[in-house]
Amino acid sequence: MRFVTRAALAVALTLSATQAFGQVKIGALYPFSGGLALLGDESFRGLEIAIEERNAAGGLKKQKIEIVKGDAVEPNQAVGEARRLTSVDKVPVIFGTYSSSLSIAATQVAELAGVPYFELGAISDPITERGFKNVYRTNPTARDFAARMVDAVGEAIAPALGVEAKSLKVAIIHEDSLYGQTVAGYQTARAKEKGVTIVETLPYSAKSVDLTPVILRLKTAGADVVLQTSYQNDTVLFFRQMKEQGFKPKAMIGAGGGYSLRDTMLAIGAENMEGALNVDFTQFRTNPKAAPGVDAFVKKYQAKYGTAPRSGHSLANYMGALVFLDAMEKAPDLKAASIRTAVLAVDVPVGGTATGWGAKFAESGQNSRAVPFLMQWQGGDLVTVFPADAAVAKMKVGIGTN
Amino acid sequence: MDVLVQLLLNGIMLGSMYAIISVGLTLIFGIVRVVNFAHGEFLMIGMYATYLLATKLGWHPYVSAVPVVVLLFCVGALVQRFIIQPLLNADEHIQIFATVGLSTALVNLALMIFGADLYSVSTPSARQSVSLGGYTVLSGQLVILACALALVAGLHLFMQKTPLGRAIRATAQNRNAALLMGVRVDRIYIISFGLGAACVGLASALVMPLFPVTPTIGSYFVLTAFVVVVLGGMRSMYGAFAGAMIIGIVDSLSGYYIAPDLKEVVYFAIFILILIFKPTGLFGFGRGTE
Repeated sequence: MRFVTRAALAVALTLSATQAFGQVKIGALYPFSGGLALLGDESFRGLEIAIEERNAAGGLKKQKIEIVKGDAVEPNQAVGEARRLTSVDKVPVIFGTYSSSLSIAATQVAELAGVPYFELGAISDPITERGFKNVYRTNPTARDFAARMVDAVGEAIAPALGVEAKSLKVAIIHEDSLYGQTVAGYQTARAKEKGVTIVETLPYSAKSVDLTPVILRLKTAGADVVLQTSYQNDTVLFFRQMKEQGFKPKAMIGAGGGYSLRDTMLAIGAENMEGALNVDFTQFRTNPKAAPGVDAFVKKYQAKYGTAPRSGHSLANYMGALVFLDAMEKAPDLKAASIRTAVLAVDVPVGGTATGWGAKFAESGQNSRAVPFLMQWQGGDLVTVFPADAAVAKMKVGIGTN
Repeated sequence: MDVLVQLLLNGIMLGSMYAIISVGLTLIFGIVRVVNFAHGEFLMIGMYATYLLATKLGWHPYVSAVPVVVLLFCVGALVQRFIIQPLLNADEHIQIFATVGLSTALVNLALMIFGADLYSVSTPSARQSVSLGGYTVLSGQLVILACALALVAGLHLFMQKTPLGRAIRATAQNRNAALLMGVRVDRIYIISFGLGAACVGLASALVMPLFPVTPTIGSYFVLTAFVVVVLGGMRSMYGAFAGAMIIGIVDSLSGYYIAPDLKEVVYFAIFILILIFKPTGLFGFGRGTE
């Protein structure tokens, strides 16, 4: 029996080796099914477009790139699929993952197998803080999100209101799972550092069916600016109940998540969402001077999938994939050590990619030149409003048009 | 003081929503004696149906309530006939596994059909702020309160005054005795399960203007609904109604005065205390009635 298995395996390996002639396989690990599938697939599309672009330009080291998909719905499956990619398909590198919990699980497998793992979209800081040698990340992390949200109070909101930043009462509200807890923790630390006045910090369950207690607390505290880290349902509920309870802060800033999705805006209504600020990966209404190639990406996406991009995840994955494919091209071979040297040598200035981010990797593998922009819902569109060179519209103050 | 009154009002409104969702669960538990873990998914089915009727045919959710109630009655009856009935004499655990499995299957079916996105129906008429002496509630919430009261009263009349209601009560009291008296127990179970599901159908049409629907919306409500049912003594509709009001008010007050993320802790603590000191629930009928 064992002999038969071995023989079959040998035949299979020979077959796949002959098929692989002239082409190089890469792993793509995303949640393609289950609850995370929508944005997992959206992320994958960015990678797919980057690979097609590469293949049209001659491929990687003159070989055609072939994508081997791995479907990870939850962390256990992410581990299983990462094992399959590294030991059965024997891919030289893996791209992924969109979700932080999936990334944390899958990167452990890749690290042990000595296969470089390119993270293009998961924001949890610990992914690149575990001393791994084969994990690299292009996108900004939760700490960057929190910093941008807190800094926006002094850099963008106070000047627009014509008041001192210290006079603004800021409240932090967040859903109480790992995502919200992490971002809120960084926000509290950053606010302390920058001397921003925090009047309330309120965690709540994302499955709440009533957020009026939170809103009444904010009203009682007289919060001027609310920083919210949330998913979709709770964002919708909060905006609806905020209006019904007559709470009108001077500004609301979301940490991506539910704030970035068009369906959230449609459920809340464009007129009620008007003026809501949001910190996230670069979106499509960004000044092309600060993000060269963003327009061309949208055109390619339209042509390939027949719809407008559903979120900025595809763009972030596209940008990251190109950065790493460039590094792989420059590496003498596709061994982990050569790729590490090539990745650490990458030096792209800020404003040099389609997301507007630069690329320069620290020893940890984290990109130090990725910063999320500040965006705002205006007339049913999410437009970049800060910093000035990436902005396509002027920032407004206040929430809602009525 | 102002905040307290507003919180109490919000609590009552929230309570009436829990009530209208829990009545069906109480009915199924009290009569068929099955813990229906798919109750939240029945709510989800009703909400998607309401959403489809609103977007495809332009129907107001309150109008859609009629076909949605009928649809959910059929869903409930079919579930009883083809899933619960074959297991009626099996171990209780098997029935629980069956409804848990049904719940998972329905969530994934919804994910396949509708995706993970949320859908909402725009009904400004149900989201009108109504001012009650300076405090605000929503018109849609008042409708839910009125309907919850009407539903409990209507079901009470039905159970007390009609022959079918009497047969249902007889079956609930003693299945074998009812069988000996010529009640067609299997049919009563199918009707009762259908009725319970129909109640949640009404709830889903009324809740739709206030909450967007997603495949997992059921899980937002169902745990609270179980607390409400047990608190109310498991088979008493008035008990469920009162239990819902208590949970609604506790939810609202503790969210403000303690912390929004600790409100579940507060009402589960109350729940555990009641189970310790009055295991049959606040309005239970003594041991043996569950």
